[in-house]
Amino acid sequence: MTVATQPTGGGYVDRGGGGGSSGLADVVELILDKGLVIDVFVRVSLVGIEILTIDARIVVASVDTFLRFAEATNRLDLYGEGKGGKDLTQLTQGMMEGGAKGKTSGVLDAAVDKVEEVLGGNRNGDRDDEEDEPVRRRPRQRARERER
Amino acid sequence: MTATYVYGLVAAGADLPDGLVGLGPSGEVRTVEHDGVAALVGDVPSDRPLGTRDDLMAHEAVVDKVAAATTVLPMRFPAVVEDDQVVDELLAPHRDRFLRALDALDGLVQYSLKGRYVQEVLVQEIVEEEPAVADLQERIRGVPEDASYYDRVKLGEIVARAMEQRRDVDARDVLERIGPFAEQVSSSTPAQPDDVVEAAFLVARDKAEEFEREVEELGGDTHEWLRLRLLGPLAPYDFVPAED
Repeated sequence: MTVATQPTGGGYVDRGGGGGSSGLADVVELILDKGLVIDVFVRVSLVGIEILTIDARIVVASVDTFLRFAEATNRLDLYGEGKGGKDLTQLTQGMMEGGAKGKTSGVLDAAVDKVEEVLGGNRNGDRDDEEDEPVRRRPRQRARERER
Repeated sequence: MTATYVYGLVAAGADLPDGLVGLGPSGEVRTVEHDGVAALVGDVPSDRPLGTRDDLMAHEAVVDKVAAATTVLPMRFPAVVEDDQVVDELLAPHRDRFLRALDALDGLVQYSLKGRYVQEVLVQEIVEEEPAVADLQERIRGVPEDASYYDRVKLGEIVARAMEQRRDVDARDVLERIGPFAEQVSSSTPAQPDDVVEAAFLVARDKAEEFEREVEELGGDTHEWLRLRLLGPLAPYDFVPAED
């Protein structure tokens, strides 16, 4: 997924929001899960969006998460057998589309984006996957030392 | 019935920014006031249900543009009342509660921060430190996908658990460093093991710059192993008081 972002200041922190500059996945989290609820309100019929986001959460249940990490360790082994397993994002997209025939594409976009955000997104074109430099150990100590 | 969409609540007479575009056919966003409190409302599309991508984006854009200028209580999407009931059903019965909440949040904005491990770096670290991982990798290598299924699940589970242990420490570090720049912090444990931190910060408007600078500095210090994403300023979604 490509989250629409607006880099401001050019630092190391990815910046987004508010006022319409957030990605859809961010927006879904903010306005569907949070905010004021008044029980007298008419709940206008939604195009199945809550059901879709719930499905998305089920899909990322633990076994799939574990397989994803197993794959990640395989990727470290440059001369290994290559990446095994299914592409979970594709799997999910197939599921979402199959299970939501007749729903508007806008909602599907929303749900698929949500799924990809939950799954870790950026499976295609993720810069990190393409870097040539060897993976370094992270300087955990350094970060701690800089604390006041 | 004709319906009215409600984006949020502000103090009556609050200065609203220009250029608000609602999700209804007219795009109009206006206020309905009652005794000190005002609802930000607009029309609703009558020919289709709500819930498209554009509807969600419009709701967020209206609320957060207002939040950048003045205190707003954001409604959860979607909030609709009958046209002639904005005052009778929404504003009048809940006036005191709304005003109390607006007062408590006066001069404050929300920032949401997410941090995710750079997966390659963390996985590398775990592979080096957990002997069981190397053993399982050896067993999986060259074995057909179906035959190695349980070993792969097990391997992934070890990596996920190791990551969760690390993130407890790292999340605390992040919150300890950024927390002092906020009035209130609301954090939750992310569902995915490589998501380190998910937190909302309530920050005084006049300290927003300082807060952002501190997050940027943290990002610079940790960028080799942690990707930070900062949203805001936003409406105080995570700090809206629960129903009485």
